[in-house]
Amino acid sequence: MTRALSALAVVDTGAATTSVALLGRPGERWRLLGSLAAPAGVEEDDLLAVLASRIRVADAPLAEAVGLGPAGLGALPRLASRSAPPRNLVVIGASRRSVALLEAVAARTAWQVEGASTETHDPREMSELALRSDVSAVLVAAGDPPGPDERAALDDLAGLVAAVARRRPELRVILGGSIRGRRTWTEGFGTDAAGDPDRILGAPAIGPRKPPDEGLRSVLDGLLADPLDGRRALRASATSLADLLDRRIELLEVGHDGGTRVVAAPGAAGDDPTSAAVMTARGALVPPDPDDALVDQVLAWTTGSLDRHRMGDRLRELRAIPWSDPAGDGARLRLAAGRAALARVAAVTPDLSALLAPDLTIIAGGCFAAAPARAIALAVADTIRRTGATQLATDPARLLGPIGTIEDPAERRALLADIAGDLLVPLGSVVLAGGLGARRTDANVGQLTLDHDGVATRHELTAGELAILDLAPGVPALATFEFRGTARVVRRARRVAVPVTGGLAGLLVDLRDIPLRLPERRDRRRALLAAWAALAWPGDDR
Amino acid sequence: MPTGLELVRARPILVGPVEATFPLRPGDRPLVALGEAVVRGAPLADRVRDPRTEVVTGRIEPGAAEPGAYWAPPPGRRRAAVETARGELLFRSGGRWRIGTGEHHELLEAPFPGIVREVRPGIGIRLHSPAKGILGREVLGRPTSGRLEVLAPRDREVRASEIDVGGAGAILVVGAHIDAEAITRARAVGVRGIVVAALGVKERRDVLASEKRGQAAVHGLPPFAIFVLDGAVRRPIASPVMAVLEHLAGRAVAIVANPPCLVIDDPDAELPPPEPDIVRVVAGPLVGAEGRWVGLAGPSRFAGGVVLEAGLVRFAGRPPVAVPLGDLERFV
Repeated sequence: MTRALSALAVVDTGAATTSVALLGRPGERWRLLGSLAAPAGVEEDDLLAVLASRIRVADAPLAEAVGLGPAGLGALPRLASRSAPPRNLVVIGASRRSVALLEAVAARTAWQVEGASTETHDPREMSELALRSDVSAVLVAAGDPPGPDERAALDDLAGLVAAVARRRPELRVILGGSIRGRRTWTEGFGTDAAGDPDRILGAPAIGPRKPPDEGLRSVLDGLLADPLDGRRALRASATSLADLLDRRIELLEVGHDGGTRVVAAPGAAGDDPTSAAVMTARGALVPPDPDDALVDQVLAWTTGSLDRHRMGDRLRELRAIPWSDPAGDGARLRLAAGRAALARVAAVTPDLSALLAPDLTIIAGGCFAAAPARAIALAVADTIRRTGATQLATDPARLLGPIGTIEDPAERRALLADIAGDLLVPLGSVVLAGGLGARRTDANVGQLTLDHDGVATRHELTAGELAILDLAPGVPALATFEFRGTARVVRRARRVAVPVTGGLAGLLVDLRDIPLRLPERRDRRRALLAAWAALAWPGDDR
Repeated sequence: MPTGLELVRARPILVGPVEATFPLRPGDRPLVALGEAVVRGAPLADRVRDPRTEVVTGRIEPGAAEPGAYWAPPPGRRRAAVETARGELLFRSGGRWRIGTGEHHELLEAPFPGIVREVRPGIGIRLHSPAKGILGREVLGRPTSGRLEVLAPRDREVRASEIDVGGAGAILVVGAHIDAEAITRARAVGVRGIVVAALGVKERRDVLASEKRGQAAVHGLPPFAIFVLDGAVRRPIASPVMAVLEHLAGRAVAIVANPPCLVIDDPDAELPPPEPDIVRVVAGPLVGAEGRWVGLAGPSRFAGGVVLEAGLVRFAGRPPVAVPLGDLERFV
């Protein structure tokens, strides 16, 4: 379809900002002509008009060649994605243990989760929770057979959820384990105890030792299915891109209402590309109603002098008007909140962290849209800690979401093949080395030789060091690490050579602990963070 | 509209008609029916202040055995009445019904006149009114109504000593900020509500704790609400909003939480429209400043090496300054 067109509007309507981009095909391939973003609520037609007028001023023949006249903008075909609004799930179980297992699974979905068990809530409180008008679904599950801590309360739970389901016909109910077979469910729900299969869904029972992960996750994800959901579409785009570039790709996104982590690999020996993805509401930049725990998480990444109350105020503002205060102190706060969010994403995706470092890591999401390149690279190195080398890139025009909504993989791949060079902006590369052992902080642990353009530059490596070396965007280089003892980069060895590519941030070499250990004392932690931040925010005296 | 201003987020000053939802908890008893017209102060529901679960010991007639129905012991069966309280049927298990009930009750009164559009026991009541309203960021407390009084200019803070019994029954506009002590005093002298530009996390926490204590007290507290216009960081009330509030001084208004709204109980009130080229800074170092829109500045570099789309704004006749578009709002 896209081959017959000469211009295409790409619109990503996020919860915080709306981004539009114009693609044109003046010759044989599609090109990114420009992009523009504004706070959510601004009309996309107004954004497109301003963007098109800028393109006409910058390159009138090109605008004319692709038909970007003022009159035809409204008729331009659009490729659109949107952020689905967050939805609330109440998890009910017969014991704290079972609720914790279910919450752990639901945390790896885009649902906002609230749990209640008979050990923590009385039946009226549980009914109140499930009857709340902002709750879209209730998950109730038990083991099969029920555990000793569940047996006494299962009838009550089944009766309670059946009554709630009768009172709220719009509520989705997920029944796990033996709940559906309980007499109180059949009596409480009514004559048709099976119910509407689109509304009353079955799920696996809670396993005795491990949570019912994939089966339950797919049920919960299925309830949120939306073909235009930009966050969900990121997986399709990342998979096509991995296949196209023949590289293992990781995509990290932090948005207003959730975060995403996708790992995609190209198909081998003619197979289709593969991918694994986790969308989590815990990955939101600032989750709704920020509490003390969140304030502490963000404070742990800040170097300023905000106390807890003032930090709470700032986070509430960031949640309420997420498009605001993107410069100066606001940019630093945003990156601190972004680090906390990435850490939460990493915490719910240990399976993806256990994989080898990808060849390319793409950073997406409004949180990072306007941040300086080095600050983004440092935020990723601070939170996604795994040995190896990866190239970093961003998607500043926010094309990956809308392109992911193209259903036909071949068509999606064709469009990506045309614009891959325009779509990704290289930030540089990150190399993390671990297993250096406990050493004095100023001890020399080896040497790095960076060969590029026929020039070799050397850098002495010290224990626990974080260094950023200049390497121009797109420049390939070979980074050779020679350690005094063995260390792990790609593999455990004394001498390791890894190919790296330059970018706006250069090459970030990270010999800090894995996982990162920060001093407990606040003044020491701030001093350390400030020293690292000085590398990422040059010219800033704070 | 001036060129480029359409890329600045618009903030509507007045919305209408108003459709407010009053959440109910299991155990609360609706006192209105669907389609019923209610006046201001009319009881909407009988709310339980100390809700709990109880097991019904007596038999329940099959016709009345429906979750959400209100149940009371049948007359004449004194023993059952003593043993079991009345309340909302929750669910049945082990052959017995659980009910949501409580000892202490209070009335939820309609803060503005309207027509009942929805009644769902245990969930909520929706009330519709052709009135207009000013949307805010959040409301703390319970629905309330009273005459509007402007106590302070838009950029000032009100101290406890400035609030006296003259404010009893009123909803006070207190400017940019209010501290916890002043809120406590306002509540003590019978003020029904506060309109403020910003309320910090600390004050917010104090208000919620006070509300909780009031709920737990034997006699409860009269309805009181804080209507927060903008957020948590101190800033003046926007001048177009303040102009409307000053125009409404002396009239009856209501505060409802869902949506957070100051309801103007007079659909025919003629209120001053905002000037189209006035923009206000909502965040950053110039937070609260207002100026006139000059035009788009294009991508500009700001502190921290951040490049952002910006607009040129003239503040108080000075030369135009570039401000990130995300930091601006306009009024419609």
